Amino acid sequence: MPKTRLTRRKLLAAAAPLAAAPLVGKLALDGQAAAGGHDHSAHSHTREPASHLQGTMGHAAMVGDEAPAVGGPNDLDALLYPPPALPYKPGRVREYTLTALDTELEVAPGVFFPAWTYNGTAPGPVVRATEGDVLRVRFRNEGSHPHTIHFHGIHPSKMDGVFEVVPSGGEFTYEFEAQPAGLHLYHCHATPLKKHIQKGLYGAFIIDPKEQRPPAQELVMVMNGFDTDGDGENNFYTVNGRSFYYARYPIRVRRSQLVRIYLANLTEFDLVNSLHLHADFFRYQPTGTGDHWEYTDTVMQCQGQRGVIEIEFGGTGLHMFHAHQSEFAELGWMGFFEVVD
Amino acid sequence: MRGRVGWRLWALVPVLLLALTVGVVVTSGSSLVDLVGTNPPPVDEFDIRRVEFEPGEIRITVRNPQPDELTIANVNVDDAIVPFTVDGPTTLGRLRSSTIVVPFDWVEDDPITVGVTSSTGIETVKEILAAVETPSASAKGFLGYALIGTLVGILPIALGLLWLPALRQASAAWLSAFMAFTAGLLAFLGVEALSESFELQSLLPLGLGGSGLVLLGVALSFLGMTALAGRLSGGGTATGLALALLVAIGIGVHNFGEGLAIGASFAVGELQLGTFLIMGFMIHNVTEGLGIATPVAKTRVTLLVLAGLALVAGAPTILGAWIGGYTSNDVLGALFFAIAAGAAFQVVVEVGRYVARRAPGGLTSGYAIGGFLAGIAAMYVTGILAA
Repeated sequence: MPKTRLTRRKLLAAAAPLAAAPLVGKLALDGQAAAGGHDHSAHSHTREPASHLQGTMGHAAMVGDEAPAVGGPNDLDALLYPPPALPYKPGRVREYTLTALDTELEVAPGVFFPAWTYNGTAPGPVVRATEGDVLRVRFRNEGSHPHTIHFHGIHPSKMDGVFEVVPSGGEFTYEFEAQPAGLHLYHCHATPLKKHIQKGLYGAFIIDPKEQRPPAQELVMVMNGFDTDGDGENNFYTVNGRSFYYARYPIRVRRSQLVRIYLANLTEFDLVNSLHLHADFFRYQPTGTGDHWEYTDTVMQCQGQRGVIEIEFGGTGLHMFHAHQSEFAELGWMGFFEVVD
Repeated sequence: MRGRVGWRLWALVPVLLLALTVGVVVTSGSSLVDLVGTNPPPVDEFDIRRVEFEPGEIRITVRNPQPDELTIANVNVDDAIVPFTVDGPTTLGRLRSSTIVVPFDWVEDDPITVGVTSSTGIETVKEILAAVETPSASAKGFLGYALIGTLVGILPIALGLLWLPALRQASAAWLSAFMAFTAGLLAFLGVEALSESFELQSLLPLGLGGSGLVLLGVALSFLGMTALAGRLSGGGTATGLALALLVAIGIGVHNFGEGLAIGASFAVGELQLGTFLIMGFMIHNVTEGLGIATPVAKTRVTLLVLAGLALVAGAPTILGAWIGGYTSNDVLGALFFAIAAGAAFQVVVEVGRYVARRAPGGLTSGYAIGGFLAGIAAMYVTGILAA
């Protein structure tokens, strides 16, 4: 870099602390405690912090106890492990209740974000149905602002969550047939749209095909970011809402067993997000539809894009995964699969 | 005589009241605002006071500049989250400081950014132009700063004093021109110091800064120097050695600030202490020696006294460099430049009175006016060398 020569007059002024970049604009929303909702967690997997791995990877490796992540080992299980797929049965009704809340989320250790959530988490709960099911989602707005739920997929336009804005304290029931099969999304579509998404109102929406996918250990990963200082740039990046969470608590999977990951991107502000897997390759089916599968170790998604990953791990041990935007990885979007026999 | 001093004291009353009022407003906090509405949330920004680089480690000293408590939750280096420990409290009360220690393999001479995020998610960012290892306090470093201080402070002033034999031959008119030259030189230093002081206080957190700080410093030194001048001259107009001493003190206080600036800038890697800069400072400060020598042009003084005057004016540079190099003292910096300004202006007044009384033609003579302007111009031109 060019060496700057300071003038006599500027000498001390330069030595004094420069004014910090002013980053104002924090919204003062008192968060409400997260309320319940359905518990969709089917697996009762117990994951431990990877403290036994400590010291093997050097200080900056950000693994196990070195990784600054919020909470205990099973906190995000309801988001990571989707409810099980049900076999096709014509006319079956699948019911969910989603409640919009003002929630103070701890997105990184000691860092609190005044979020808007469905059922208290960002991303919200995984909504799952089989193609042909009638999906009935009761939406209650207990947040301080008007909200909606806009589902991706094929449905009547009056069930689209755009025109029927639900005021604070209001309620609306979305009902439509689940189609087409694939991985979809839901998110708030009240304006200003950017604000309502950035605040945390989104989640994964799985529609299983009539002909069931092969049995697998299934995982859901929703990529997102949090702009905690309101400057229009994300300060933290995560999968499922907590930075470095899966670095502290690696996801345990079995070697040679089929692992299916439902991957979606709901990161606001940044043009794209991505997932890169270390030490192995996977098959990727965009949107979880069609016959086209890509064989790769890196996929890129813009906001709203999603797809299904399938892999049988060939080796054991820690397999890192992260956004291949290095900046996102180092701001929290990094984790590990711990592959065991 | 008493009436004159009393008038000066009375003139200070508004200044003191102003400082008092500023203090009251600062401490009253938000209670006034509550009468008219809701306060916005706290800014939650840290004041990053100092960033030090040691092998494999970055040390970030932060202060809480706001009335509300502030908690260190997350630390970034170059936009990446890093592990850290805090030496001191993690939650900081008003104006309390802590040092964040980050194990980090930084790259020498590269620009680097550190960010400290509060529990409310607000990130305060500080950019460092170039990462260089922060010198730690050592005997070698102390000696180094002392040598640099001697080179840029004492030596040029001593050289300037060697104009004394020439000055002794000068006519009364020319001598008054040199006295006016001294006044111009000091006026230049005063304006410069005042500007530095205002600039520094504007960078301070609200609880520590404010124009009142500058006014207080100026008033304090002006008052102190006035009292000193009265004592040295037995109540009359300071002449001869007394006036030379006053000039030396005025310059010395300024040079303390200069040393402070050199030490602090070098310590945080924002100043290249090159030979050109040192040479520039030397040429710039030679004129200060001339300023001290002129009042004693017609007085008998021993070499020892002259050496003493050179020390009074130049040695504070060394002290300032030590303090600036090894401590972080942003309040002291602002206050000291204010004090330097007050002292310089007081000596300008003192020299002005001398010229008015003793110079042929008084203050309005061509010699006096020309000398004054020449003094300012000389400082300005040689100042370019130190830039």
